Order: sequence, then C-alpha cells, then structure tokens
Amino acid sequence: MAQITLKNLGKMFPPDVVAVADVNLTIGDGEFFVLLGPSGCGKSTTLRMIAGLEEATSGDILVDGRRVNDDDPADRDLAIVFQNYALYPHMTVAENLAFGLKLRKVAPTEITSRTAATSRMLGIEPLLKRKPRELSGGQQQRVALGRALVRQPKAFLFDEPLSNLDAKLRATMRTELIKLHQSLGATIVHVTHDQVEAMTMGQRICIMKDGHVVQVGPPMEVYRNPADTFVAGFLASPPMNLLDARVVDHAGGLAVALGEARLAVPGAFNGAYGAWRDRDVVFGIRPEDMHDGAGPGGRTPLDVRVVAVEALGPEVVLVAALADGREIHARLGPGFVAPIGSQQRLHLDLGAMHLFDRETRKAIAQRGTG
Amino acid sequence: MLFPLGFAVFTSLFDYTLVHPNHDTFVGFDKYVEAWNADYLPDALWTTVKFVVASVVIEFVIGFSVALALNRVTRFKNVYYIILLAPLLMNPVVVAQLWRMILHSELGIMNYVLGMIGIGKINFLGDPVAAFWTVVLVDIWHQVSFMAILLLAGLAALPREPYEAARMDGASAVQTFVHITLPLMRPVIAVALLLRLIFAIKTFDIVFIMTKGGPGTATDLISYFIYRSAFFGLDVGRASAMSVALLLIVLALTIYLYRYMKSLA
Repeated sequence: MAQITLKNLGKMFPPDVVAVADVNLTIGDGEFFVLLGPSGCGKSTTLRMIAGLEEATSGDILVDGRRVNDDDPADRDLAIVFQNYALYPHMTVAENLAFGLKLRKVAPTEITSRTAATSRMLGIEPLLKRKPRELSGGQQQRVALGRALVRQPKAFLFDEPLSNLDAKLRATMRTELIKLHQSLGATIVHVTHDQVEAMTMGQRICIMKDGHVVQVGPPMEVYRNPADTFVAGFLASPPMNLLDARVVDHAGGLAVALGEARLAVPGAFNGAYGAWRDRDVVFGIRPEDMHDGAGPGGRTPLDVRVVAVEALGPEVVLVAALADGREIHARLGPGFVAPIGSQQRLHLDLGAMHLFDRETRKAIAQRGTG
Repeated sequence: MLFPLGFAVFTSLFDYTLVHPNHDTFVGFDKYVEAWNADYLPDALWTTVKFVVASVVIEFVIGFSVALALNRVTRFKNVYYIILLAPLLMNPVVVAQLWRMILHSELGIMNYVLGMIGIGKINFLGDPVAAFWTVVLVDIWHQVSFMAILLLAGLAALPREPYEAARMDGASAVQTFVHITLPLMRPVIAVALLLRLIFAIKTFDIVFIMTKGGPGTATDLISYFIYRSAFFGLDVGRASAMSVALLLIVLALTIYLYRYMKSLA
C-alpha cells in the first residue's frame, strides 16, 4: 500500500478556468481518505490528476515519495472505480476482471486464481459469464470494484462510486466498503458529494470548495469545529443554523444579539470572543443543540414561532421562525408536537455555539488569548 | 414507385424486346433461365464482385482512418467536415465527367502532371486493368466520405469511460483500438459496410459516363450489363428478369441489415 502526497497541486482548464488551486494533502498509508464537496469543487479533478487521467498544470503528485506527474496512468499502479462503473460493455464479467491482468502479462493461472478469489470475496461468482448490460446497478458496481481489487494496486481511487445506487443499496455498499478497507488495509481516496458517506466512511475528510481545500480532519473534528461557514453549512442535514448576529455586552459578560433576543455567551468563551465586542459575526448552532426542554440547567431560552414540524420517526425536525422572521432548524425528540404558528420556547446549549467572522466567514476561536 | 417495379416484374415474364415491344408472348421464367445462361454474365458478375470488394474494403480502411483522425481533432472541425462532404454532395454524373476529363489520356491534366514529374502517360480508361482500378478509385473518391462520416458519428458516440478504464488498465494505443474501439464500433461498422455494399452493387453512373463497361468487359458491372441487355441487346424481357434478380439480392441484403439493426436496438 502507499502514501499519496499532493504538493501545491493545481489544474487550469483553458482559457482561464481554475478547477483546482494549490492543494496540499498527505494521504497516509492504509488511510481511508474522503474528498468531499459540492459539484464543481474540484474533488473529482483532483482524483483524476492522482490517477493520471488529467494532467496537473502545477504542483507535484507523489506516490510513496516518488513523483508520478509524468507517469502514464498504468505506471502509477493505482486503480480507479468510476462513478458510472466504466465496465467494458462487450466483455463478460470474467473478461472485465481479467483484462487489466492480461495487459500486464500476468500468468494465466495467476489470472484465474486472482479472478476467482476476487469474485468470491465480492459475491459475484454467479455473474462471471454475464455481460455488464445483464447486471443490475449494484452488481455492476461490484464488478467495477472487483476490477480494481483484482489488480492489487498500491491504492484505490473511488470517484463517487455509490452515487448511482438507490438509498438502501448505497447504505449496504457503504458498510461493505468500510469492511473491505478494514480487511485489506488499503489506501483509499474516495470522492463524494454526500456528507453522510464522508462522515461514515472516512478516517479523515477533506472539504473542498471552488478548487481549494477548506478543511481537513477526522469527520467528528470537522463536524465539531468547522473552519468556516461553508463547512458548517455543508455537513449534516439539516446543517448548522447560521444567523447574522452581533456580539454585545450583557450582564457583565458577553451576549449574542439576535434581533431583540440576547443569548448570554458561556463564561469560558468570554476571553476569546471579547475582541469581537460590538462587531458583526455569524452565530452558528447545530439543530441538535437546541432542545424543547430546559434540561438539567445551563441552557439558554429562545422564543420562536413554529413554521413546520417534520416528524422523521426517531426524531422531529422543527422549522421555527425568530421574532424577525429568520428561520432555524431544531432537531428534537420523537415526542415533540406543536401546532403550526404557535409560540414555543427552545432551550439552546450555548456550550456548543460557534461564531464566525461576518466578513471572512472564518470560524472565531472559542478559546484563545483574546 | 410501384408501377415501374410491377412493370419490370411483369415484363420479365414475357418475350418483350425492343423489336417486338409487346406483352403477347408469355414465357414464364424462361427469361430468368436465359439471363442466367447469358454470354458474359459470369464476367459481369465477377467484375461486380471485384469492384464491390475492392471499393468497399478500401473505402472502409481510408474512411475509418480519416474518422479516427478527425475524432481527435478539436479545432477547425467544421472546415474538415465541409471538405469531406463536398464530393458526397456532387452528382455522380458530374463526378464521372470531371474525372473523365482529368484522366483523359491525351488532354487530361493528370497525365500532364505525371509527365512533368517524369512518369509516362497512363491510359487510365483505355487499358483494361487501369480502367477497372480507375473506376474503383473514382468511386472511392466519391463515396469514401460517406463511410468516414458514418464511422465518425459512431466514434463520437462511443462512451469515454471504457477508454479511461483501459488507460488505467495499461492498454497501449493499439491494444485500446483492438480491444475497445473495434468491438464497440462493431454495429456501426456492420451498418456502414452493408450500406456501402448495397450502393456499390448498384453502381451505374460512373461506368456509363467513363468507360461504357469497357475496354472489353473490364468495367462491365452488373447494372451496366443489364442496361446493355435492354438497349443494345434490345431484350427488355431478359434485362427485366436480371433487374428483378438483382433487386431480390439487394432486398435480401437490406432485410438482413434491417434485422441486424433491430437486433441491436
């Protein structure tokens, strides 16, 4: 298995479209690394540059410390699983699996044994004689995975391989890919726009926007401490509530002014947020940090008007409006009921609050010297 | 459309000649037997087979090469298309007249140019071997664009992903062509070859204008042979019988083509 390093990697499409700019990443040996971002953020282009299917216009790509920018895709010894599987339509499943090995002049007996082992592992043995068009989406996906596995490459590159599957199958394949990673200990770079995939599968995730890396880290770390409002608003569904606010003096400490409401900032943050007194910020709080009960104490009340109540089974998503009409989402227990238009009091756990610079949209450190 | 067809089928069953142009003498399938035993029919059939094979195969090779090259071109694509389409838009009679003048053994510009670079005059339309290949080459000049455009449309419609997968699998350009392009193009290639085959069998205009089937029977393609039977041999009945037989052959090929295309859908 291999370590992949990207140094100042950039890709420009003529005449002047910057697809990827100055990406610096080190993907560890055996790591499951996820590139996450919305459409057009440059994640797939980054992956294709690693694969060698796109030429990097600047920067270096290193596999195990060796620069591979000028190597043919085949010489990089990486395998890619494409979004739409890219199986050879005129070949049977067995031929699809064996094609890469034949080209690499692997001995026929070795090809047979590797194909058999791979198809057994993925449960596609009964399909070996079928053509891709005779397979379901899920089966094609397995064959595409098998084609990558059978080559025993240094690392696997997954380009949104689950996005064409239905929700149920996607969940199953997610688990299977995690298991596969654990059993092989392979280096995997997985591209997705699905934040659930990223959160559940990645050991580390890299969030990209407009060709730039915004934040890299373990999923929960990124979830808890988003680097900016983009990351905060991208992860989870419903995402973090982001509201324009102002830091003001309040009862000897600080508070976040949300219209008429004043939310007292926990004392522990006063030092860090002190420098932001009387300045415009973006206040962020996750839906699950708002409750319908006061709880054991320490929660801050906020009066809202019920706009919609979305019962999802295990939880209820409350869409509510502040006094000035701005909407927020709260994730409440399954027992919550309230008539539309009624006034409710939510209780905010402000220990989990975030503040962002209104201009730069970057997170303001919660604990600092400020 | 039905009248000439019906008239030909009807006439093929009578002893209808230009000397006695009437349907008085019903002869059944005698004219078909007579046609089959006609002098020089084997020659005409053999010439047609040679012509069809030579022109279709060469057109395929050139057409596919041009299509592959054009498929990679990104700039000035429209200019190439126009150049490619120009011969195809020309009337076959015009094409044949044009080339007859260019290749004229004494007055043609071709022999003049050949003379300038030290190659002796070639009797393009007077020598049996040269005349056959001249007709083949003029047909290729006229029809190769059709093949190229049909194959180019096929190439442009091929999915990009298997090519990327092949690159990752380590396929060379030749291996990619053999293992990916050719198998994926098989349906388009089959349709292009069959269409050209059907058109080539019916070739008439070039021969009529350029060689009149000659010298001797060197370029006596079946369509021209039938024409000669009717208007030089004056035996319209026999010519009709041969036309009907040719129609059945072309029809069989067309049905096969249709079924093949349907099986792909």
